[in-house]
Amino acid sequence: MAAGSDDARSALVREMGWRRPNLFAVAGVLILAAMLPLVWRNDYVIDVALTALIWMILNQSWNLQLGIGGIWNFGQLALFAIGGYGAALVSLHWGSPPWLAMIVGGLAAAAASAVVGIPVLRLRGIYASLLTFSFGEVVRLLVISDESGLTGGSFGLSGVPDLAFGGLSPDARQRAYYWVALALVVVTAVVVHAFIQSPLGTALKALRDAPGYAASRGVSPLKMQVITFGMSAFIAGIAGGFYAHYFGVIAPSVMGLGPMSLFVAMLVVGGLGTFAGPLVGTALIMVISEYLRDYDEMRLIIVGVILLVTIVLAPRGLVPLLQDAWRRLQRWMAEDEAGDRGGPEEAASDPPTASGAGAQEEVTR
Amino acid sequence: MAALIQAIVSGLVTGSIYALMTVGMTLIYGTLRTLNMAHGSMVMIGGYVSWMLFAGFGWGPLVGLVAASMVAFAFGIVIQQIAVRPLIGRTGFDFEMTAFISTFAVTIVLSNVALQIYGARNKAVPPVIRGRFHLIEGVSVSWHSMVMAAVAITMLVGLGVFLSKTRYGLAISAVAQELDAARLMGIPVGRVYNLTMAVSSALAAVAGVLLASVFFVSPVAGDLPLLKALIVAIFGGLGSIRGTILAAYVIGLLESLISLYFGVKWSLPTLFFVIMLVMLVRPTGLFGRPQEARL
Repeated sequence: MAAGSDDARSALVREMGWRRPNLFAVAGVLILAAMLPLVWRNDYVIDVALTALIWMILNQSWNLQLGIGGIWNFGQLALFAIGGYGAALVSLHWGSPPWLAMIVGGLAAAAASAVVGIPVLRLRGIYASLLTFSFGEVVRLLVISDESGLTGGSFGLSGVPDLAFGGLSPDARQRAYYWVALALVVVTAVVVHAFIQSPLGTALKALRDAPGYAASRGVSPLKMQVITFGMSAFIAGIAGGFYAHYFGVIAPSVMGLGPMSLFVAMLVVGGLGTFAGPLVGTALIMVISEYLRDYDEMRLIIVGVILLVTIVLAPRGLVPLLQDAWRRLQRWMAEDEAGDRGGPEEAASDPPTASGAGAQEEVTR
Repeated sequence: MAALIQAIVSGLVTGSIYALMTVGMTLIYGTLRTLNMAHGSMVMIGGYVSWMLFAGFGWGPLVGLVAASMVAFAFGIVIQQIAVRPLIGRTGFDFEMTAFISTFAVTIVLSNVALQIYGARNKAVPPVIRGRFHLIEGVSVSWHSMVMAAVAITMLVGLGVFLSKTRYGLAISAVAQELDAARLMGIPVGRVYNLTMAVSSALAAVAGVLLASVFFVSPVAGDLPLLKALIVAIFGGLGSIRGTILAAYVIGLLESLISLYFGVKWSLPTLFFVIMLVMLVRPTGLFGRPQEARL
């Protein structure tokens, strides 16, 4: 009996505490990802993977607001583009080193996020999405109609200089870019994970789930939203800067409904508000969209249908769905073991644990 | 002086069209608590229906108005059934967020289906009546604009009568005001949701037909109307029909005045800053009520 209830208790503690990433799995995925350009020597594949990595950075930053903060920011692509333009302008006109330019891009995005963020601070829910969405569209239309030559209008800025990989062969250069992007993804993931697990992250989630209660317990909505907005915009801006330097081009076509639909699909299919969701979703949608490369216009139709089906059938996304299934499988296996040991009381002590964990899930969701 | 009057006249025309586009959006939000991102697609569909009738049979936009509103009516019901209805009443999820995303998905699908069927090229539709109408010396309005304003105002008045006088309109108002009480009075809420989506979509399609003669019809023809409708909706306050109509005229006038004095380029950014100022003072728009009070 004692052993059984200890097991049950430790299972409960595991479920209640922070979910720790499985270090072996993470290391395995990372090594595989790092090996990809060495194993699969195909320019096109590496290019797609690189793009996916950039989107992963962007989606992580977006998830911080949309999923974890519950701040309905649909203007993130504008911040991404502002980061890209900032970095491109700085390195084109002042010839500053690209690394610095990327940080300037991040700061530019963070500054721009203050413009949209401060009014949004007073809004909740649908009004925030209205305002941020129209902010994004206004930025896009402004850039397109810009004739002063600063942003290059609808053609965008081209000839953005390379990250300092001048001496390398094209293949090696691409590989170097790939590893830098991977490193950026990892750094972003670590920062985001640390943020989610910190008291700040808990406060943010509390604000999302019960704004009134959280505020009355001393969580300042203003401070939390400023931090989240700034951080998320900075990361998005860095992603934009990297994008501009890798492709050498930044154009208003990175904004708008088409790209936004891809990113929203990535976030929702992976699972909004989960740590792994944006990463898994990005990879999945990129793979699907590459499979459909030959049917160019069908691509977005299918992505739209996937998004619709996901939000209707599995609104929490795939990652929570799989996690649930995995946990259920483990519990089922544990029950089986308990059954093998032959103690009927152990078997009986399991269901309350399960329901307790379930209730806990309801609360945290 | 003539330029100012010209700007005011064209502002009033634009305002009427904005009101027509946005009133459906705000009606849907008031009743279904859904920010319908597919609303812009209805404008696009209206334009394509009008173009198909013109290109196929040589029929003018007046036939298009009737046909487009019927097609959009059907689309509204289908969208409600597919994208909104399954989300209603699910516990643990933010309905407004999921509905926002699902209607957004619908809009992606619709505009890309249009791209697939009709291609990216712009299609032109002739105006209802050609020629210009000279108001006073130096001020002229195209007859089509007059028709646009007239149709829009007629539709808005008609909507007002429908909502306040007819049985179905009253049912919509009742559901918007007090869902539970409406249900207790025996109003079939599901059908009211269908009707609201259908009527609102039809209004947007009418706007689409009228706009098709001014601009062109293309798969992205719904994007700018959607943006304008969003701006008007924020300004007026979602869920308040009177506020929306007033806001539409204010925005229309503001836009044409800004274009007159500063150039077209500045109209959107200036509008956006005006909106931000409004939001800072009244976070739920000019006439919107705070969300807590409306739940």
